[in-house]
Amino acid sequence: MPSAQRSATLEWMSAGAMPLPLRVEGLVKDYGSVHAVRGIDLEVQPGEVFGFVGPNGAGKSTTIRCMIDLLRPTAGRVELFGLDPRRDGVEIRRRVAYIPGELRLPERLTARRFLESIGRLRGGFDRKRLEQLGERFQLDLGRSIRQLSSGNRRKVSILSAMLTDVDLLILDEPTTGLDPLMQHEFLALIRERRAAGATVFLSSHILSEVQRVADRLAVLRGGVIVAQGTVSEVRGRTRQRVEVWFETDAPAHLATLPGIEGPTLDGRRFTAMLSGSVRPLLDALAGQPVATMLIEDPDLEDAFLDLYAGES
Amino acid sequence: MIRSSRELLAVPLRALRRSGMVWALSMAALIGMTVAFWPAFQTQPDLTKIMEALPQALIDAFGLADFGSPAGFLRGNLYAVMAPLLLAVAAVMMTNGQTAGEEDAGRMELYLALPVSRQAVFIGRLWASFVWLVVIAAVMLIAQLASDAAFGLSIGTDRLVATIVLCLLLAAWYGGLTSLVAGWTGRPGLALGIGIALVVAGYVIMALFPISEVLAPWRHVSPWDWALGGDPLVHPSEAWRYVALAIPAIAMAAVGTVAFGRRDVQSA
Repeated sequence: MPSAQRSATLEWMSAGAMPLPLRVEGLVKDYGSVHAVRGIDLEVQPGEVFGFVGPNGAGKSTTIRCMIDLLRPTAGRVELFGLDPRRDGVEIRRRVAYIPGELRLPERLTARRFLESIGRLRGGFDRKRLEQLGERFQLDLGRSIRQLSSGNRRKVSILSAMLTDVDLLILDEPTTGLDPLMQHEFLALIRERRAAGATVFLSSHILSEVQRVADRLAVLRGGVIVAQGTVSEVRGRTRQRVEVWFETDAPAHLATLPGIEGPTLDGRRFTAMLSGSVRPLLDALAGQPVATMLIEDPDLEDAFLDLYAGES
Repeated sequence: MIRSSRELLAVPLRALRRSGMVWALSMAALIGMTVAFWPAFQTQPDLTKIMEALPQALIDAFGLADFGSPAGFLRGNLYAVMAPLLLAVAAVMMTNGQTAGEEDAGRMELYLALPVSRQAVFIGRLWASFVWLVVIAAVMLIAQLASDAAFGLSIGTDRLVATIVLCLLLAAWYGGLTSLVAGWTGRPGLALGIGIALVVAGYVIMALFPISEVLAPWRHVSPWDWALGGDPLVHPSEAWRYVALAIPAIAMAAVGTVAFGRRDVQSA
């Protein structure tokens, strides 16, 4: 886009005239007596990476499937670029690429044949780009999908969403089955697409993955959003698991530090959950005979235990 | 638009290639093997006498009338039951597999996320199933003509074409019915079950209802009767028979397509 045109567009956006890439208002989706999504509100700004985090079964895929018009909301509304997925589905999907969480591909086709088909249906298919993406993700495009491992199948789905430049990427658990190297490559690709102006809606049950790339995120649990904000805002409300090994017995005063919960002193080993800043702990450990130390994200259930508890 | 429509047809056409070819070759083999018995059958006039001695109801039920003639031989062995039955089953299986089957397996989702309408995806799959049915019917006709020539069975090509076209339309009627259930529910087991059950029920109504005086008038509710009730191997069939099969087939497919556009897509 020429710079003059771009700045004019941005001005229009800032004036509020440009519809948001994604807006969800009071979304409810029931399957009979099962309430999968129970009233979700979201707004995703142009050019941001928005993380959509929650444990399995929280309603992430149901919400996403409503955006793509695979499901019809029971109540509430979804808008993409100001358009209604049901009425303007084709127009919306022209600007959106989607990676489904549950991946099922045609077994008998080669990856190349399948992706060519997807590219032709999407329009603006560029064979050279497909080959470059195949090389980047180390995917043998000539192999039949049936022969591919789950990680390589996942790469096929990633490539299917990256064949053309779209305005919005909706990615449902896109890195499941990828090795760490490929996860890294994928997140690099996401950053590139954001730099090129695309908006990304990234669903995951792995907080650390979303944290590495997202600007803002929402945490979903039991069909409702229990936290929403910038990554650091939400992060500040979560807890991390701390494990410290000492060369001598673990000092008892660690248990009384601010932010430390559920401490366990077991000989030379100290474990606890830590909420808030890590600084008091690091200060207390300075000068201590620390052998090794680990601070990690617990699984999502534990990380957002407080949020969940508050919600319930 | 045209390019995407072509691709939406090409994808299921390719997916059906293996099963379509197996169906076509199986039907050709069935026809070839059946006609191969014609020369031996002709030299056994006793067989014809045995057939003629059967009760009239049984003769009518299994299409065994005039069994010693070329038309009677083909009707009794192929076109009264086996050929239309197998073609209808092929239509139900292919249609179901490409619509509710693919949806239930989660393989339709990536296509439905593309800038094409849901209905276009569904219609592409119905067309692909119909195209393969036409291919199977064409192979049947070629196999029939070749077998007739090889084994000296003499029957008018126009009668064969009419009979096979009526079998094709009967199969399309069941394909349309299957697409209606598949489009409405997205449940492959249900669509397959209803499709096959009504294929069998249609045959039973046409073949066995005439045995009972009370039920006899009801034979006309069966699409089998519309297709084959005029004995197309012997007599030219009325135009309404073609229309009565084709129009509902198209209508049911259209309703199934609309229904598919209005509901939730099944997830894998």
